[in-house]
Amino acid sequence: MLKPFFNRIALIMGSTIILGLISGCSAFRGPLYPDIIYNNRQPLISVTYEYGEIELILPIKYDAAVPDNILFKVFTQGDTLHPVISILQEAPKEFLAYLPQGVLDIQNSTNLIKIIPQDKNFDPVIVRFKGIRFGRILMPPKTIRMGQLIVSGNTFLNKNDSTLASVDISLQSYDNIIHETQSNGSGYFQLAIPGEYRYAKHLRIVAGENLIFKPYTKKLDFSQVRKLKMDIGLGPSDEMKEPLYMTNKNNVHFRESPDIGSETLFLLEEGEIISVTRVTPGEYHGFIEVDLDDEKSVQMEGWIERVDLRLVNLHNVYEQTAEY
Amino acid sequence: MNLMKYYYKRIAASLLLTASIVGQVKLSVNTIPTRVDVHLDGISLGSSPIRNERVTPGFHKFEIKKKGYAPLTYDLLVNPAQAVLLDFFLNPVYKVRFKTEEKGLVFELNGEHRWDVQLVRLELEAGNHFLRVFKIGEIIDEQTILVDEPKKFNYYLKKPLSEE
Repeated sequence: MLKPFFNRIALIMGSTIILGLISGCSAFRGPLYPDIIYNNRQPLISVTYEYGEIELILPIKYDAAVPDNILFKVFTQGDTLHPVISILQEAPKEFLAYLPQGVLDIQNSTNLIKIIPQDKNFDPVIVRFKGIRFGRILMPPKTIRMGQLIVSGNTFLNKNDSTLASVDISLQSYDNIIHETQSNGSGYFQLAIPGEYRYAKHLRIVAGENLIFKPYTKKLDFSQVRKLKMDIGLGPSDEMKEPLYMTNKNNVHFRESPDIGSETLFLLEEGEIISVTRVTPGEYHGFIEVDLDDEKSVQMEGWIERVDLRLVNLHNVYEQTAEY
Repeated sequence: MNLMKYYYKRIAASLLLTASIVGQVKLSVNTIPTRVDVHLDGISLGSSPIRNERVTPGFHKFEIKKKGYAPLTYDLLVNPAQAVLLDFFLNPVYKVRFKTEEKGLVFELNGEHRWDVQLVRLELEAGNHFLRVFKIGEIIDEQTILVDEPKKFNYYLKKPLSEE
């Protein structure tokens, strides 16, 4: 009966003792200040960056000739004045460069490698490329060729120096046509062929194959220069007086005199011009122009059978098969 | 038709994910102590150490909090690098008891925290704190106290603080 009462008393006393201990301890330890007090000391922080690397690889091929040394310059972000790296080395099979991360334009192809062969026979080559942040760029192979050989000039009529338009012009090695073109309306022409022909020994220019005259042919020598300027006069000169005739076939005998057994001075090709001065029932007497090596010509007289000649019409010097 | 749309969406999502990963910087965060909550621009990255997270180049805000240490906020301009590693050394907060036998004094710490009781428990960030003592509204003492461990300070008027 009294047991619950004593239990309650014991509970109250125990609680009182515990509270007394807590409050006593708290009073002994003091109150806790409500805020944490900071002194805003600068924290210690370490920041370490790891930058990537760009491995740039450009395989190089050579066509016919190889320069001794090549200077490679890498430009980035469209800045063509200040290369990020320049490397001069013996002509390699592969150009390899390591660039730091972040130097390349990764949005557009404004980065470029300038390949400058240290040889005047070669022209510089530029390779544009789009960058990456880091990693490897393997570009398609680039072929280094010798610089082009160029011949240019004007075509005109020897008789009066008037412009001759639409004249067929070709560069030939032996009888193989390497490249051909036509002079434009102003008589101007330009032909470019690969640099590998620079030291070819049988390189020649042939002009006027679409004209009635014998074509103009001249040997070309690019061993000292890569660009030749050449004005080409076609047809008879002003020295050749009318009436003018021309041979109508190849291997026409140009003889010293009309007599039987007379010596043949030349065998003329088709289209050779003769300035006729005397006429006999079977033969014409006249002058032909013979070109000399120093670009001068001399006139030589002789006799040709009438059947081997036809009258020249200088008002239309183009072959009739062509449409001009 | 719906199936095709589903596949197109999946492909587009993959491309977007790829595009977002390309151009990012690998992020690693170490802290002392470890197992600290790291927030980047208000978004939790989890508990340190953080490994192989990604962050875009530019300005970012790091917030680091752990009970018992001073919270840390750090603004960083992330460069377009391959990776960035951050080491944070958190400043601990120590429990300090401050006691004096003097009467009628008011104590001020770092110019803003004041008390006037003879015994108080404080939580102080490690390092130097500036103590100023007032009596009847006048400054009667100034001292710098160094907190580098949990300790108890006894203050005697115009004497350096003694440690127990």
